[in-house]
Amino acid sequence: MVEFSHLTKAYKKRVVVDDFTLSVDVPIFGFLGQNGAGKTTIMKMIVGLLEPTSGTITIDGALSSHPIFKKKLGYMPETPYFYERMTGIEFLRFCDELFDNNNSGTSPAARTSHYEELLKKVGIFAARDAEIRTYSKGMRQRLGFAQSLVNDPEYLFLDEPLDGLDPIGRREMKEVMLGLKQEGRRIFLNTHILADVEEICDEVGIVHKGKLLYAGSVKAFCAGKPLEERFMEAVQAHETEARLEPSKK
Amino acid sequence: MRNIFIIAKNTLKLEIRDKILYGIIVFGLLYVFFTLFLADLVLKEPAMVKAFGLTGIYFFNAIIALFLGTTSFFKDVDRKVVYFILSKPVSRAKFVLGKFFGLCMVLLLTSAILGVAYVGVVMYEHAGFDWIGLTAIAMQFLEMALFLAFAIFVSTFASSLLSIVYTSGVFFLGHIVSQLVTDAKAIGLGGIKLWLVEILYYIFPNLEKFDARDFAIHAVPTPFTSFAFAVAYAAVYIILLLSAAVWIFDKKEI
Repeated sequence: MVEFSHLTKAYKKRVVVDDFTLSVDVPIFGFLGQNGAGKTTIMKMIVGLLEPTSGTITIDGALSSHPIFKKKLGYMPETPYFYERMTGIEFLRFCDELFDNNNSGTSPAARTSHYEELLKKVGIFAARDAEIRTYSKGMRQRLGFAQSLVNDPEYLFLDEPLDGLDPIGRREMKEVMLGLKQEGRRIFLNTHILADVEEICDEVGIVHKGKLLYAGSVKAFCAGKPLEERFMEAVQAHETEARLEPSKK
Repeated sequence: MRNIFIIAKNTLKLEIRDKILYGIIVFGLLYVFFTLFLADLVLKEPAMVKAFGLTGIYFFNAIIALFLGTTSFFKDVDRKVVYFILSKPVSRAKFVLGKFFGLCMVLLLTSAILGVAYVGVVMYEHAGFDWIGLTAIAMQFLEMALFLAFAIFVSTFASSLLSIVYTSGVFFLGHIVSQLVTDAKAIGLGGIKLWLVEILYYIFPNLEKFDARDFAIHAVPTPFTSFAFAVAYAAVYIILLLSAAVWIFDKKEI
């Protein structure tokens, strides 16, 4: 279970995540929100790239930024950047080696075959020995996804994983995510694409201006209406409330 | 420790694939071989081969250190490649140290390549195996390691361009700072002006302590105390600079 308790992140006076409290215990959870809503900041705090200003994030009771926990998580950043002169397989090897004891008891040949399997899974096996600088945007997304799986993680945090993929690529990646769900892994994904959420997420969290507007099943949130319409209603209701709040005071 | 080694190894691997580095090494090698003709033109003495050769190696290694130190670390952070690394069980301190040791390994490699060419050229001039010259190259390497540590320290808070400016400034001041104090005292400078010059002396590293080229040129063995002092001096400065770099990088929002 992933628990956010009064999580707040502020850059000087600008609050980007505001008293965010939530418990998640479903296989695929989607953070949904506009660009700049605070989704990426939340994810960066989960994986320890950013320190919360206040509040905590715990996963199965332990702080998510703890080095021991980091061994159990996979993370794919938004618009991933790579070492351009590395090949795809070299990059996976480098990422894998950073997990201290990950290689113990496994032969180099077995590890290489593990990387090849991952590249096959995300559909870029043919480009395994090509330098990353020759990869298209979609191939980079797929490589970013593959590296998040290199340590066989229990929890996956994927920031806009379907961005830049063509329709076939999106379909393939969604199938991979559903396959990972079948294997028992927990997936968190950030997206601003409503159709993806509707299709693969068990529950969603609607984030707007750093605040959690809703958390629960997509079906309950939609209440018979299209997701896009309900999303707009929720955001507009929050905006109206925020405008009225100063006058109440 | 293992992660530091993995990052260092990766840094070495990536940097030696850089064509710019190859270009600088090729120019360095050409220069070292060219010293044979330069020396012939001046005095036809092995001492001139040594002087030109060691200065050339120093110059090309300084360019490499400036180029690597101010770009490698900064690019990883600026282009967000660190997201992949720091989301794994790797602390920021290990990342800083890994980058530093990786870049030192590149400099060690370039020093070795240029050093072998230098020794070959000196032997060709019938001056024997110049182990004193190799000591001078080792001391130059210590200076470059310090230079790298400073560049990484600056890269934790400044852009690549500013890092070049600051690092070049320290390189320049580091070579004149001891002379500045001597000159200030010789001309009777006092009060706040002398105080300012002395502050500069204590803040900036005295890079002249790594210059053992004169010993090699005159074939006088480098005193062990000079070498030991240079090692200790570089170690202290590098530890201080990298500690400061880790402290700043730890607080940096990436």
